[in-house]
Amino acid sequence: MAPRASRLTLERTVLANGLRVVVAPDHASPLVGVAVVYDVGFRSEPPGRTGFAHLFEHLMFQGSAHVAKMEHARLVEGAGGVFNGNTRSDLTTYYEALPAGALDLALWLEADRMGAPAVTEENLANQIAVVEEEIKVNVLNQPYGGFPWISLPELAFDTYPNAHNGYGDFTHLERASVADAVAFHARYYAPSNATLAVAGDCDPDQVVALAERYFGPIASRRAPVAGPWGEPAPREERRRVIDDPLAPQPAFALGYRTPDPVGDLTHHLAYVAAASVLGDGDASRLRERLMHHDHAVTDLGCSIGVFGGDSLMMRDPALFQVVVYHPDDVTADELAATVHEEIARLGDDGCRVDELERVTAAFAGGFWQGVDSVNERAIMLASLETIHGDAGLLDELPGLLGAITPAAVAAAAADLASQPVARVEIHPAPDGEAT
Amino acid sequence: MRAVRRVAAPRLLDETVDGGLHLVAVRRPSVPMVEVRLCVPLGAGLVRHAAGPLVLTGAVTAGTAHHDRASLADAFERLGGALDAALDDDVVTLHAFGLATALPTLLDLVNEVLTGATYPADEVRAERDRTADEVIMDLSRPEVQAGEALRARLYGHHPYATPTPRPEALRRVSAAGLRAIHPRVFDPRGAHLIVVGDVSTARVARLVAERLGPWLAGAGAGATPLAPLPPVTPGGIELHDRPGALQSNVLVGANAPRRTDPQWPATALANLVVGGMFTSRLVENLRERHGYTYSPHSDVHHGRPGSTLIVAAEVGSSVTAAALVELRYELGRVAALGVSEEELEGARRYAIGSYLIRTSTQRGLAATLAAYATSDTPASLVFEHPARITRATLEDVNAAAREHLGPGSMATLVVGDVDVVGPALRALDEVTTPSA
Repeated sequence: MAPRASRLTLERTVLANGLRVVVAPDHASPLVGVAVVYDVGFRSEPPGRTGFAHLFEHLMFQGSAHVAKMEHARLVEGAGGVFNGNTRSDLTTYYEALPAGALDLALWLEADRMGAPAVTEENLANQIAVVEEEIKVNVLNQPYGGFPWISLPELAFDTYPNAHNGYGDFTHLERASVADAVAFHARYYAPSNATLAVAGDCDPDQVVALAERYFGPIASRRAPVAGPWGEPAPREERRRVIDDPLAPQPAFALGYRTPDPVGDLTHHLAYVAAASVLGDGDASRLRERLMHHDHAVTDLGCSIGVFGGDSLMMRDPALFQVVVYHPDDVTADELAATVHEEIARLGDDGCRVDELERVTAAFAGGFWQGVDSVNERAIMLASLETIHGDAGLLDELPGLLGAITPAAVAAAAADLASQPVARVEIHPAPDGEAT
Repeated sequence: MRAVRRVAAPRLLDETVDGGLHLVAVRRPSVPMVEVRLCVPLGAGLVRHAAGPLVLTGAVTAGTAHHDRASLADAFERLGGALDAALDDDVVTLHAFGLATALPTLLDLVNEVLTGATYPADEVRAERDRTADEVIMDLSRPEVQAGEALRARLYGHHPYATPTPRPEALRRVSAAGLRAIHPRVFDPRGAHLIVVGDVSTARVARLVAERLGPWLAGAGAGATPLAPLPPVTPGGIELHDRPGALQSNVLVGANAPRRTDPQWPATALANLVVGGMFTSRLVENLRERHGYTYSPHSDVHHGRPGSTLIVAAEVGSSVTAAALVELRYELGRVAALGVSEEELEGARRYAIGSYLIRTSTQRGLAATLAAYATSDTPASLVFEHPARITRATLEDVNAAAREHLGPGSMATLVVGDVDVVGPALRALDEVTTPSA
């Protein structure tokens, strides 16, 4: 069943200082989504400062030239809006969804902190403490904390930008200084290193005029070149065992390389399709076999990305991942051998046309659900504009995925099967009982 | 104050149809998709013995006369969607979505599952073992341990106090047992069907009658209502040991008004001021001033038998007592002194704006309608929410804060390393440490 073609109307422009502006007007709800995406993430943080990109994201909420601490939140929420930010390997994203009348306010706030955040010793110390509690709640005090999003890249990659823990080491976080923050902002938060996207109930001419008024006065400065981050693929298999006393049962993750998501998008999408054929939903091959036929695993999934990021919102290198949670009556060796066998079979025999139809239809449905939110729409547009230089790709992705052939999926799987794999294993507490 | 463009409430279909099914539908053409949620309330017996319903949510999609698990999943994905089932407290939800034009086929498949799930014996054996493993993984998470302990602390002998079914109970579930409870779980009488998407409400009503007819024809007596939640016994600190924990889960809970209660809008606003938004007193104090925690929050959970306010924070072990002092201070301050006019207006605009944002997507609106339906709240109140929030006065909000947010009406529970956090907590209040 073919979904109707998308109706996204896009206006794109670039301000004199280099800020890219994307507007996607749509009047289905009286809301606007605003996203400002900076072309900086974990990969750009200086050695000895792991976790700094994310810490800096926190600092951007601590006030700016004309905005006091807590005032950003008070103004956005007081206008009926919601906001947040996140940091990934290549991008740092700030966003708001608000009633349409508050667009002016959101753009003013974003421009004020792009101009100059107000980082003080006190705010820095406070946010280091908050980030450390965030890391405890999400990683250190949790079973499977950081698995596989921190541990797999550490094993699969060799160079600092790709391999290091983007949440950061506590000693590195505690060493961060106000001077570091000023230097980081000067280098990476230039208007020409960012994209502003506005989606929803707005008039493009008005958005561009407001962007000119608020962002226009920010001085132009040269943006650093991001990457390239590519590094040679491992030549032999790698394996790392992590003892996790909080985990009640074993788990493992396999990591493989993919083609460049930016420079070789069509080729990369064949791997996205292969991930769905193999491990997305109960109709996928690995879930059908290992979960529902062999009854050997508790959960299984395939995806492409690193550090929780979608591979279409990042640069090369990306990781194709298979993540498996399983009872301890079966070994990771046995299960990994079955995974390999299925990937190789997909490479040898290819996939059926109807399998690809399933993947394409599910992707199109997921696309529509994503763009139903003004917030998501703005974030995806700004991310694609920043990484691919083309926000319009959002509309084209379902079609591009639909054009992938069974032969291309087979070739992708054959390549995956030929690669030496990186495997991280989680071993639970010896008595099998978590505390 | 910035003006929010007024949006007319959409046409709402809200009626009881054949078989005693409660059908709620709204046309929302924002994208060419449709959301379908079937929410069925369970009787007290099934809530107390939830091993069967929990395995059932995994096994109901394991096969019918015409589909096995993989081909069923495949059929939904071909419609641009998916089907899954979940159990929350006392409600089983069957959630399906797909392209709006595919609604007839989607409902045919839902009907097939509801009237013809076969529960193959080997699938059920595998599913119950897998569910047991999932429960073991879930119970290893500190917030899950803490939530379960809090339910026991708050609800005493009420079915809501029932812990997650244990692996032993799950491994005893049989295919015959699931076939026996299936009609009781999926009884159309008293169930809520929510449909939101690019489909007119008239077409939804016609398709439901037509495509779900066989299921509707098999209606039973409906689930018996649950007794109201008991009043919370306040006071003290119940301390659960988690040796070696780097953080403590601090939870505080109390009874709260239901959404149908005239005092609800004022209570919702008072809750936002104290801990329900980022610019709340708890976030400003615990996170932005002291750095004790990443994300303190205060939420009201609405269920069929009543509503509960829960304030929660994951705090560093060494500052657990200090964080509890600040948390109780903020609750006491809002109860005793009320909120300022400025705080109230900020919370009011946030309440209305975030409501618009939450209900602006098909999925968000369907989830909101389902949450209202499963707490026995009329669907029309979803669309009256902004007006109700607008009418609450400062006096109403301060009265609600005094009645519902004071620490004197709350139960306190901490999960943490007793050796580390125990001594300071004992200096604050009477501490009980239940033996596991």
